[in-house]
Amino acid sequence: MRTFEDDPTLEDLLSADQLQRLNRMLSALCREPVEIGSDRKDGALALEFNLETIGWLAGGSSEQERLAAADLVSFLMMFIAKYRLAANLHHDTTEASYAELQKQNEALKASEARYRALSDQLQEQVDEQVTVIKQAQMDLYESARLRSVGQLAAGVAHEINNPIGFISSNLKVAGEYVNDLREVVPDTRQNRELLDDFTDLLGESSDGARRIASIVSDLKTFSSIDQADYTLCDVNELLASAVHLLQTEYGHDLEILKKPGELPKISGHPSRLSQTFYNLLDNAAQALREQTQESGAEGKAGRILAKTSVDSDGIRVVIQDNGCGIPESIREQVFDAFYTSRPVGSGTGLGLTVARDTVRAHGGSIQIDSREGTGTRVTLLLPVS
Amino acid sequence: MADHSPDDNRLALKVVFYGPALSGKTTNLMQLHSLLNPQRKGELMVLETRDDRTLFFDMLPIGLKGASGLDLRLKLYTVPGQVQHDSTRKAVLSRADAVVFVADSQTAQQDNNATAFGNLEENLEKVGLDIDTLPMAVQFNKRDLPGVVGDAELQKRWAETPWAPLQMASALHGKGVLETFRVLLDRLYTEVDREFALDTDHGIDRDTFIRQLSAASEDSRAYL
Repeated sequence: MRTFEDDPTLEDLLSADQLQRLNRMLSALCREPVEIGSDRKDGALALEFNLETIGWLAGGSSEQERLAAADLVSFLMMFIAKYRLAANLHHDTTEASYAELQKQNEALKASEARYRALSDQLQEQVDEQVTVIKQAQMDLYESARLRSVGQLAAGVAHEINNPIGFISSNLKVAGEYVNDLREVVPDTRQNRELLDDFTDLLGESSDGARRIASIVSDLKTFSSIDQADYTLCDVNELLASAVHLLQTEYGHDLEILKKPGELPKISGHPSRLSQTFYNLLDNAAQALREQTQESGAEGKAGRILAKTSVDSDGIRVVIQDNGCGIPESIREQVFDAFYTSRPVGSGTGLGLTVARDTVRAHGGSIQIDSREGTGTRVTLLLPVS
Repeated sequence: MADHSPDDNRLALKVVFYGPALSGKTTNLMQLHSLLNPQRKGELMVLETRDDRTLFFDMLPIGLKGASGLDLRLKLYTVPGQVQHDSTRKAVLSRADAVVFVADSQTAQQDNNATAFGNLEENLEKVGLDIDTLPMAVQFNKRDLPGVVGDAELQKRWAETPWAPLQMASALHGKGVLETFRVLLDRLYTEVDREFALDTDHGIDRDTFIRQLSAASEDSRAYL
């Protein structure tokens, strides 16, 4: 590669046109035509530039004329060469500066890409942390709620247990007294009817008291405030008590079909599992109620199926309803915390969130199949270990 | 790098005068042009200047013919000293065979000297040369001015470097210029002889090399 400092040749300094013109002008000054060329001719004078012979000057009428012409050419060459040198140097340095700029540009680009990647990475980490914090907040909220509900339930259960105890035993004694009375009062039709009715009244009251006792017992199971840690749970039992509790809330005309299978006991958190079952049953019941409101009284009968079974994957709990179903548009969001489709104040938006988290905590999974207007099936899979 | 073409039996060497702005690099070259009377001497080319400051470079070609017919050329270049012309400096410095560092003796200019020396070292590295092996002479110019750092102190400061002893000059008055040039030729000869066997192959010994290339023109001296 030629650099600015390479010695210039005649062609570098003058183009063919310019050389011709120079020849003409020199010839005009001399008596005989003068010619500059790169070939040495007889009697030609060397044209020197920078100690370098760059061409030969021939012609002219005498040596003196040639010398004068050569001097003039050398003088001219000096300025042409100066310009060339400066131009070439300028070109070289510009190229070098440009190359350097490009290199810097590349380096900057690379470093920008590095920082961009780093920023993405940081954003990812922040997002991850935010998710973790949200989860922790929700767990905290839920466990606080559970605890307060549990405490309340346990308190109420305890307070109710005693009066129910003596009401039950008093009713029993009262029944015996009625039988005693049968012996002593005159046996008239009116008295008989009165005493039969009395017996029925006491019997129904006893039934009522027994039901109260059973609800209290369910509440205690449900809250399980004393069972903070994992214990061996009977899923069927937990599900039955959740069903029972739901029926108490919605009235006994709510049809819940129970199909409990033979299940092994699994290690789990009873109150959280109960809560999960209750949440799912509650959703089903709400779905049925909504369906009835929409289709009026003549709609098909609402029904909830609560089925358990066991296979190689673990315990399968299916809670299915033929209610309103979940619209396609919100199916993505149903597990989101605080998302609810219910009117303000009637749902926390945590039901399914708690259900999912609980199932995950037990190493299981939850799946929702739903068709709008037809019903919803929730399947929980809890591994047996 | 020395440019040797065995076909033409030519050897072109490049000497660069480096140093801070206004230290007298161009003055050195102009003095060499008028003081020197070597076997062959070309025109001093002073490229574009603005307010007497070098923009591109100056160049003086000198030459000598060896017994073997070797056509030995020495091209003396100056670089622009101003900071902003760094890319030009680098371009001129590239493929240099020797460097004359022209420093400014004035006390106030010592920082600039250091900066320029650092710049030289850096640019040499960029063009693939090593300051420790490149033949180099260091000249402290402007000894005629008042307020210069003393000889003894400068010599002591540089005593441990490969470039001691320093050359003291007053280029404007033609003093120390030839001496500096001869010191450089001496150091340059060692390197060039090692590579091209000047003495054995071309009949140019150290003394011929220095004497022929730095022969003083008595006319010019008288004129000055």
